[in-house]
Amino acid sequence: MGNEIEIEEKKVPFNRTPQAIEAERMLRRIKDDFQDNPAAMDYFYDLYEQVYCKGQSLHEKEKIVGTMCVQVPEELIYAAGGVPVRLCNGFYTDDQVGAEFMPAKSCSLVKATLGMLDKRSTLPFVDKIENIILPATCDQKRKAGSMIGEMGYEVYNMEVPPVKESEEARLYWRRSVHNFAVSLKGITGKKITKASLKEALAKVAAAQKAYRTLHNLRKESPSIFLGKDAFMVTNAYFFDKIENWTAAVNKLNAELEQRIEEKITAAQRRAPRILFTGSPAIFPNLKLPVLTEESGGVIVADETCSSNRMLYDMVAVDEYNTENMVASIADNYLKPCTCPIFTKNDDRIRKLINMAKDFAVDGVVYQSFSGCQVYQMEHSSIAKALKAEGVPMLFVESDYSPDDMGQLSTRIEAFIESLKAKRRRKR
Amino acid sequence: MRNKISNYLNNGDLRRFRFWLQLSLFILFVYGGYAAINIGDNLPTFSCTYVDGKPGTCFLVPLQHRMVTTPEKLFSYAGMAILTGLFYFTLWFLVFNKAWCGYACPLGTVQDWITALRKKLGMQYVTYSWGQFKVLKKIKYIFLLLLIFIPMGIGSGMFSHDMGVPFCMICPARTILPMFSGDFSQLTIDFSSKTKMIMTSLGMLITGIFLVGAFVKKRFFCFFCPMSAFHYLLSKPALLKLKKDGSKCTKCGDCYSVCDMQIKEIADNIDDRNILQDDCIMCFKCVAACPEEGALEVDFMGQPVFEATVQGYIKRMEKANKNG
Repeated sequence: MGNEIEIEEKKVPFNRTPQAIEAERMLRRIKDDFQDNPAAMDYFYDLYEQVYCKGQSLHEKEKIVGTMCVQVPEELIYAAGGVPVRLCNGFYTDDQVGAEFMPAKSCSLVKATLGMLDKRSTLPFVDKIENIILPATCDQKRKAGSMIGEMGYEVYNMEVPPVKESEEARLYWRRSVHNFAVSLKGITGKKITKASLKEALAKVAAAQKAYRTLHNLRKESPSIFLGKDAFMVTNAYFFDKIENWTAAVNKLNAELEQRIEEKITAAQRRAPRILFTGSPAIFPNLKLPVLTEESGGVIVADETCSSNRMLYDMVAVDEYNTENMVASIADNYLKPCTCPIFTKNDDRIRKLINMAKDFAVDGVVYQSFSGCQVYQMEHSSIAKALKAEGVPMLFVESDYSPDDMGQLSTRIEAFIESLKAKRRRKR
Repeated sequence: MRNKISNYLNNGDLRRFRFWLQLSLFILFVYGGYAAINIGDNLPTFSCTYVDGKPGTCFLVPLQHRMVTTPEKLFSYAGMAILTGLFYFTLWFLVFNKAWCGYACPLGTVQDWITALRKKLGMQYVTYSWGQFKVLKKIKYIFLLLLIFIPMGIGSGMFSHDMGVPFCMICPARTILPMFSGDFSQLTIDFSSKTKMIMTSLGMLITGIFLVGAFVKKRFFCFFCPMSAFHYLLSKPALLKLKKDGSKCTKCGDCYSVCDMQIKEIADNIDDRNILQDDCIMCFKCVAACPEEGALEVDFMGQPVFEATVQGYIKRMEKANKNG
């Protein structure tokens, strides 16, 4: 019999994979299309390059626990000796792979996450993930759970109440978080102790403190920091080592404070100040924030789960015993959460209005992924509330595909122009 | 200058401030009389009349005494006495509002010390369920009604005079506070009459419940305190106020997590500016635990004296995490 010819599949080096190219392209745009980026941003640019363009791993020894939504209490994962890595993904290349799992009109984020998990080895942290924590949030994420399970991951379904105002919801969620805290031992092999939880709380609090300072620095007018960089910073929190991240943000804050003193601004005095809300901007799908700032606007604040909603609210504890800490953590992940999956969303409206005032916002850009029903359904109520406050809003339905770039930029430019005109009229 | 002062106050360590103020006022209310201090008999806090060194008397004592009268007298000179008493009580109260509970009440302070002991032992406290909370919170109003109507019943001959000062008989301040000046005589059951026996036995029983209750539940007794109920009826025009700006609140629940009295409205109510609830003891732990600039504030005559700030919040939380 003839010799069997073994065809060895040639492994494409990571930096030549479609994702790496996609990441590289966005990274270049964010870095090079804008002048005078803060020097402290180099840490973040390098981090993205290392992880997404070169495929280098960040967490060598630690047990990585994948999380699927902002509702997963990361303090508990840290306390159990794990490292939470948020898996919500922004790659168009993965979105295309994930399309086979979901109906045609589905959320790009969910599809991209499924695509990424299905391929397994492409991203440096995905190949190490065994356990994924999936809170029962929107329908698409919920149903994605079983598909992820079939791919061979161990999925922990975390129950989330659909109503958050009632006492029932609080108790239900507290129980859910408590059960999660107990189950983590089976995942990481380490039990949560009073000391480890206290330490985890301090670690996350330090990161949130750094974030809060950055958040408040963005109130400065004229703006000293661009929104595209802010998204890069908060997005890095998904996967970076938390201590390094905190140190880098503190360094950035120090530089920005310096810039205020030296009167170095990031945008023109008349650049319309934009509040970004809706579906999260996750690298490399930062096209909407980048287009907004390329068109002359400046994003001064955001209300999204990849950024503000993830880092803003801080946990206060009265007595540092495990039970109380877990209960306080639980309340903090549910009560202030402005995720559109909940029945009512007065809190989101209130938060947006308050932010619009605090940050002297000229207009709101509302991103909704095509297929994200909950954000689409909240559109009209948010639009109405903002109109009553005299804040113009642009609602943009988009997905991860680059095809709508031209159409989007026309709409955004027109919106920014109208805001500028409005400002001129005021004066 | 003004900014500097308010920064100093907002960044302050409320826990420490409160501990020392409570200790000082405890000394005043338990030993002040020895230093010949006399601040009157209509105090809106448990300056217990059974304590040897009291500097004054809890308003509930003269109130219960004066209510022992007939309806005719009540609407003439006896009524005047009650009204003047109430006048002085109100004057005292209007200045500090329910902060009398959180800072001055010696029985409240004792409960905080018991809590500190439990904390030291690393034990977990208990909380009421929402259903229990709603029922139990009514008890203080029942106590308040009883301490007014039983003396009136005595006056009209319905009850025996042995029922005199009925609330004091069951109040744990009567049995516990005198012990701080070495007087254990209140820890007895009076067998001189059937009524007295029942009342003093009840007093002993409640003292026992108080000690156990305060050990497992923060500010256990305040929840049932008729003085607290009385306070609430008069709290609207008081000068010291706890205010909330709902538009700045994210409902994160930090204030609720630290509240000794399990007051949910502090986190969930975003409509009322004057957020004081009947169970509130005005300890202001909620303000200290609020990370939203100006969402909660303590006002005195419309001037903010202690305001929620991120900076102050972070300072206090880092300290609490280190020490807690």
